[in-house]
Amino acid sequence: MNADTSGAPDVAGTPDIAGTPDVAGPPDTPAVPDTPEAPHAPRAPDAAGALDRDKLFAARLHAARVRPYLATALFALHAVESRRVPTMAVDRYWRCYVSPRFVDRTSVEELAGVWVHEVSHLLRDHHGRSDRVAREQGLTGPAERLRMNIAADCEINDDVFGEGLHRPEGAVMPETLALPEGELMEDYLRQFRLGPRTQSLAWLDCGSGADGLDREWELGPDGAYGLSDQERDAVRFRVAQGITARPGNAPGGWRRWAREAFQPPQPWRDLLGAAVRSAASGSGAGEDYTYGRPSRRSAGVPRAVLPSLRRRPPRVAVVIDTSGSVGDDELGSALREVAAISRAVGGRRDLITVLPCDASARIVHPLCRAEGIPLVGGGGTDLRTGFARALRRGPRPDVIVVLTDGQTPWPSERPPCRTVVGLFPRQSSSSSWDEDDPDYVPDSPPVWARVVVIESTPATR
Amino acid sequence: MSTHARSRATDTPATPPHPAPLDVAGALLALLRDTSTEPRPDIQLEALTLAVAADLPVLLWGEPGIGKTAALTQLAASLDLPLTTVIASVHEPSDFSGLPVVGDDPAEQGVPMAPPDWAVRLVRAGRGLLFLDELSTAPPAVQAALLRLVLERRVGALRLPPGVRIVAAANPRASAADGWELSPPLANRFVHLQWTHDHEVVVRGLGGTWPRATLPRLDPERLPGAVDLARRAVCGLLTARPGLVHRLPSNETRRGGPWPSPRSWEMTLCLIAFATAAGSSREVMSLLVRGTVGDGPGLELLAGLDRIDLPDPEVLLADPQSAALPERGDLRQAVLDGVVEAVRKRPERTRWEAAWALLVRAVETGAPDLVVVPANTLASLRHEDWDVPASIDKLAGAVSLSRRADRAAARTAVAAPAGR
Repeated sequence: MNADTSGAPDVAGTPDIAGTPDVAGPPDTPAVPDTPEAPHAPRAPDAAGALDRDKLFAARLHAARVRPYLATALFALHAVESRRVPTMAVDRYWRCYVSPRFVDRTSVEELAGVWVHEVSHLLRDHHGRSDRVAREQGLTGPAERLRMNIAADCEINDDVFGEGLHRPEGAVMPETLALPEGELMEDYLRQFRLGPRTQSLAWLDCGSGADGLDREWELGPDGAYGLSDQERDAVRFRVAQGITARPGNAPGGWRRWAREAFQPPQPWRDLLGAAVRSAASGSGAGEDYTYGRPSRRSAGVPRAVLPSLRRRPPRVAVVIDTSGSVGDDELGSALREVAAISRAVGGRRDLITVLPCDASARIVHPLCRAEGIPLVGGGGTDLRTGFARALRRGPRPDVIVVLTDGQTPWPSERPPCRTVVGLFPRQSSSSSWDEDDPDYVPDSPPVWARVVVIESTPATR
Repeated sequence: MSTHARSRATDTPATPPHPAPLDVAGALLALLRDTSTEPRPDIQLEALTLAVAADLPVLLWGEPGIGKTAALTQLAASLDLPLTTVIASVHEPSDFSGLPVVGDDPAEQGVPMAPPDWAVRLVRAGRGLLFLDELSTAPPAVQAALLRLVLERRVGALRLPPGVRIVAAANPRASAADGWELSPPLANRFVHLQWTHDHEVVVRGLGGTWPRATLPRLDPERLPGAVDLARRAVCGLLTARPGLVHRLPSNETRRGGPWPSPRSWEMTLCLIAFATAAGSSREVMSLLVRGTVGDGPGLELLAGLDRIDLPDPEVLLADPQSAALPERGDLRQAVLDGVVEAVRKRPERTRWEAAWALLVRAVETGAPDLVVVPANTLASLRHEDWDVPASIDKLAGAVSLSRRADRAAARTAVAAPAGR
């Protein structure tokens, strides 16, 4: 494994040693003088078809220089020579299988692109996500896995190349399949079938690291140089941290990945449900113990004082800010969710009040009629009036649930009941989180409210 | 009934005796229960055992019906502790905080808070494993009473002896019917372990062979080293990242989970020491650490542990010929960078030459591209009067590699405007 480097002191003459360091200086002073030497010339033609490790590693070095934030991950890959792979492939244990013939016929800059492509499969956990999709949707069989590989390639290829990194010949792009750019593997997977368009991709094989299907030529979990779960997480974490620490030089796709790598977005339904449930069943609201009336057990224990369980269904007031650019379907499903949760914790229909904070409450009316929720009030655009009206009503609510896009003044004081805010991210704010408008700061809900961000897209990742 | 059956059997000896229906059922049940066990590593159980051994309250999060109770039964058996299971949801708060019993003269003697029988038995035994199951379905007042039991180890007027270990179980928020959720101060006191089932284990178990985990044993000889390592790891990280000492969970996703604070860092320190003394794998340590301070800080700590495991640059410089460099590329590069950094801090000729010898060794035993950056930096540290060691010839491969990468970069730069 080591004979190649010491045994083949190639080209450009063994540099005179004193000069060595200066020539191989920083990457921004490339040693152009000796470019005439043909880049594709097979060097050190020892055993025919042997892996040209120098070329392979020169490509990795190039990749690490143009993508410094991926260097840790690139160097963590262990290269394994394999004649069974068409090009390069990775397995889930961070081994990279390399075809010697592919290395021979590919230029250094294209190889660098392939390195980055393969390591992206691993960083983005395509094998784990493929397994999840396969399990959830019952997609089994090599054809489905090929589809996953193609979808994963689309997710990677639309934003990793360029800026010093060459796009390899024949890389699958979303437009190859007539699909839009910038989506996730799971989204692409829904949008195409194997057919004429993908005919040319049938040979494509990025290994089990890309689609989760074990290949017989892989070394498997017990082979040498595999990374354990924890080591893989550690490498991914270091890369994510490097990107979040210096977000300037990473493209948007990678920054999004780094944000979500160890904090995947959760389905808002679960979060909103948990928030409302815990607010409605917290002490002081709903069910609780009291010493007001003797317990059923009292007869058995004559001298002890036993408390008994009293139940008071929670009163929930839903304040809806309909002034924003909130879609009817989003609002409808959020409201229905709140109603369902309130019923689940024992609320009755007459204990749920809905207070729309705008004139255009067209969606709220039909929904509430369908749900049998009494609709009170109308008019007004300021959420503070919504709060005030909710609190002014007869028996005070135990929980106020606010559905809003957040572009509104908030009460300056904490209301005397629990508050849950379902926040619809504004279309403009969701895309301006970085460069569009660096000064933009959305009005954030106050700290005393529990905030659940309601995304319109289902968070499948 | 049975005599009647017997008398009939004697009447007609040709037909076999009718056994009682339940006897047949019993025989079938016996067959079904006749299962064997096989040894199998189980990192969840290992992590649980270590946390219990370290006397930290553990909270198992898991969907209903995936074997949390079975795991606890096995743990109690192997630790030789009597298991007391208390299903929280069928109790009242007074069962945990004590029932007021009105005596003869309450004004004079006060009203004692009587503990329930299981607590009395636990205290009498002096040791045991208390399993608080179904925390998630208990009403809030019961949960509040239970948390006092978990945190202060008090049941009414009784204090649980130190030999009693406490484990709780809860269903995840999404599947809990009435929203059990820990407030941040309470979440901070638990070691959170996510309990999942292993598909293979379940299938094999239903086929008749259940796993038998070999539990970690603490090695008495490793104790001082384990404490030292744990202190170095935690202090090293917190020195470099003061912001990690205390960080309240800010977003909804993280609520109710582990988060870093001085208290949870102390628990982490303790758990690292236990895992090290038991010789546990990094996976086990990862479960424990991430379950105590959360994913982000936990992963940083684990990454720091990886670095602590790396060879010391000074040791490598002292004897470059027998140096063992890590196989993994990224770690190897970290080591080489460390060596060069050490030379930069104290530039002496012998150290500089030793560093070259190390780089040569790295080129001979692994991927050459890792050596390029350290070699450049090391070369820039050269003093006027230092001669270049002859062994540097062997780095020629790495140098040409670097040039090739440079040329590729130049070509890409030329091609880029046309290509994009």
